[in-house]
Amino acid sequence: MKKVVNVGIGGRTFVLEEDAYVKMESYLSSFKSKINMGFQENEVMDDLEMRIADLFEAKLGSRNEVVTLQMVEEIISRLGMPDGSSPFEKDGETSSSPSSSAENKGPRKFYRDYDNRAIAGVCSGLAQYLNIDVVLVRILFVVLTLLGSAGIWVYIILWIVAPKAVTAAQKCEMRGWPVTAENIRRTSQSQSRK
Amino acid sequence: MEYIVDNIKSQMRKGLLEYCILLILNKKEAYASSIIEELKQANMIVVEGTLYPLLIRQKNQGLLNYRWEESTQGPPRKYYMITDKGRSLISEMDLAWQEIVSTIETIRK
Repeated sequence: MKKVVNVGIGGRTFVLEEDAYVKMESYLSSFKSKINMGFQENEVMDDLEMRIADLFEAKLGSRNEVVTLQMVEEIISRLGMPDGSSPFEKDGETSSSPSSSAENKGPRKFYRDYDNRAIAGVCSGLAQYLNIDVVLVRILFVVLTLLGSAGIWVYIILWIVAPKAVTAAQKCEMRGWPVTAENIRRTSQSQSRK
Repeated sequence: MEYIVDNIKSQMRKGLLEYCILLILNKKEAYASSIIEELKQANMIVVEGTLYPLLIRQKNQGLLNYRWEESTQGPPRKYYMITDKGRSLISEMDLAWQEIVSTIETIRK
């Protein structure tokens, strides 16, 4: 059993298995990054999606089936890259930016978790960073505040020092996840659930 | 050795691809998919992805144009045709190609 994703490609809808969807998405974004044609890129991508939709349809026929990873891989190797290079060269790594390649094992970074904030997201960010329950952190801060206002100062300093996790990539780093297409989607899903 | 040959061949093809697209469209109007089919049969392209940026670029250069053609199933598709500018480019390219061929012949003697 597999999770599936509904997508619109070239003006038609298809049901893709989750791994097929992730593959397709990273292919499309790396294709786009290799066109190098500025504002005309979108037009090229429209044509490409059109073609992908045709190929999906040809593969599925009239059967009401889902698109599998294997189909996607076949189509990707058929379409290739705009510069003729191999689409599988940097397989899986394409979505992570070069600067984060050293962080592929995913050390946590301290961000303020603004999505789960009580005041400014300092406590929940700290909880993500230390991988403990946010309630414990909040109690600690309250206790520190009651015992001579140290809590308030620490909170304010952290508020100033720590950046807010805004982008999906930052939210991955906050949780210690490698920045991949799949993890980025996970962060946006956990956000939309709230 | 084989790698070197492949590399040179693919460079030659790349340079001629735009000329070939115009030649195909000069014969008849066509969908992108049939252009791809013809180029594949002629061994001009290995992967289809190389073609889409070229078509858009040539359209923006005014060498070719397209209209939307309704199809019986699915959304409308682009139907490509050559323009007058494209035709005059072909005649220049024809000359250039002959020049190259005769240059090679001369050098080989």
